[in-house]
Amino acid sequence: MMNTALQGWGIWLALAGACIGTYLCRAIGVLLSGKINQESPIFKWLSAVTYAMVAALTVRMIILPFGLLTTVPVYLRISLCVLCLAIMLSNPQKRLVPALLTGTLLMMTYGLIF
Amino acid sequence: MTAAAPPPQTPQPFLTPGSEELNENGQARFADRKEAFWSGFRYASGAPAMVLFAGMLGFGAMAKTNNVDLWFTSLSTLLMFALPGQVVLLDMVLSGSSVVAIILAVTLTSTRFVTMTVTLFPQLHPRDRNRKLYASVHLLAMTAWAVSMREFQAIESKHRLHYYLGLGILCWAISFPATILGYLLAGFVPNWIALGLVFINPLFFLLTFTEVKTALNRLAIILGGILGPCFYLLDRDSSLLVTGVVAGTVAYFIDYQFLLRRFKDQS
Repeated sequence: MMNTALQGWGIWLALAGACIGTYLCRAIGVLLSGKINQESPIFKWLSAVTYAMVAALTVRMIILPFGLLTTVPVYLRISLCVLCLAIMLSNPQKRLVPALLTGTLLMMTYGLIF
Repeated sequence: MTAAAPPPQTPQPFLTPGSEELNENGQARFADRKEAFWSGFRYASGAPAMVLFAGMLGFGAMAKTNNVDLWFTSLSTLLMFALPGQVVLLDMVLSGSSVVAIILAVTLTSTRFVTMTVTLFPQLHPRDRNRKLYASVHLLAMTAWAVSMREFQAIESKHRLHYYLGLGILCWAISFPATILGYLLAGFVPNWIALGLVFINPLFFLLTFTEVKTALNRLAIILGGILGPCFYLLDRDSSLLVTGVVAGTVAYFIDYQFLLRRFKDQS
């Protein structure tokens, strides 16, 4: 599954860069803490970009996954997600764990049967 | 976004350490820093740790089922400690993106730490706001942030840092063994269990979107969810970055135009 272009040192370089990039964001936060308004346009834009990226990733992981999840038909993956969302939305404050459990257990059940 | 998404946060002015309402009202909640630390630690050991543990377990399993190195997987948990960024990293490595694109995308997902830190740390006692915070900030993740933002209002400022440390240290400490456990389990357990484990993360992210409050971010999520697979089919390598920037910017301008129009209507 792994692309040949990123075998060897490439993935370690990516890991090192990712760790440094992530820590830098935390450090910049400390540096700026108390000096900056979180309602400023740049922060609003950055948070929109972040949410869009994570949403794109999530939808892709469900609709066009790699590895094991490809063995589950796409309509089933989507209907499971819709079901869990419905459970979650019925009471967003309390249903995170039940919704997560339902989805995981049903997915396991599918794997056990087919 | 490592675990539970933030609770509804009504916009409120910063409570600065100097403000009287914080330091003068009634008796202290904790006797000393040690008690504050263990209180945070105990709180974290409930639901926050459970969700985080499941997420990291799923991350480890996902890496194993795609034949990614164990060290690569576990070190990313230890040194990044940011589940969305880790999943982006893993995903882009698997789809064969370039190193520069990976670093850019992961760093962009981590920009949320800037806003999280900026809102949380000004609430600490001035005495605690020193260079050591550059170490403590590594423990900051969605879970610790969301809980701290809520609880800090009821904790006297001199004990806040230790409450946060108790929360953060437990979350960080369980993540590493959870990742390794997920990795090892996925190698040994039958496929049907591994299937459940690798499904945890996409499902978890999806569920946390329901707790996002602002219209701008909701719009960004919807646009990103629609455009993401389209851009992915066009070009795998750059799809996450392009989707983020395009969907985020479009959402920003739609939201901006909407605000502008409403402002005009009122005046």
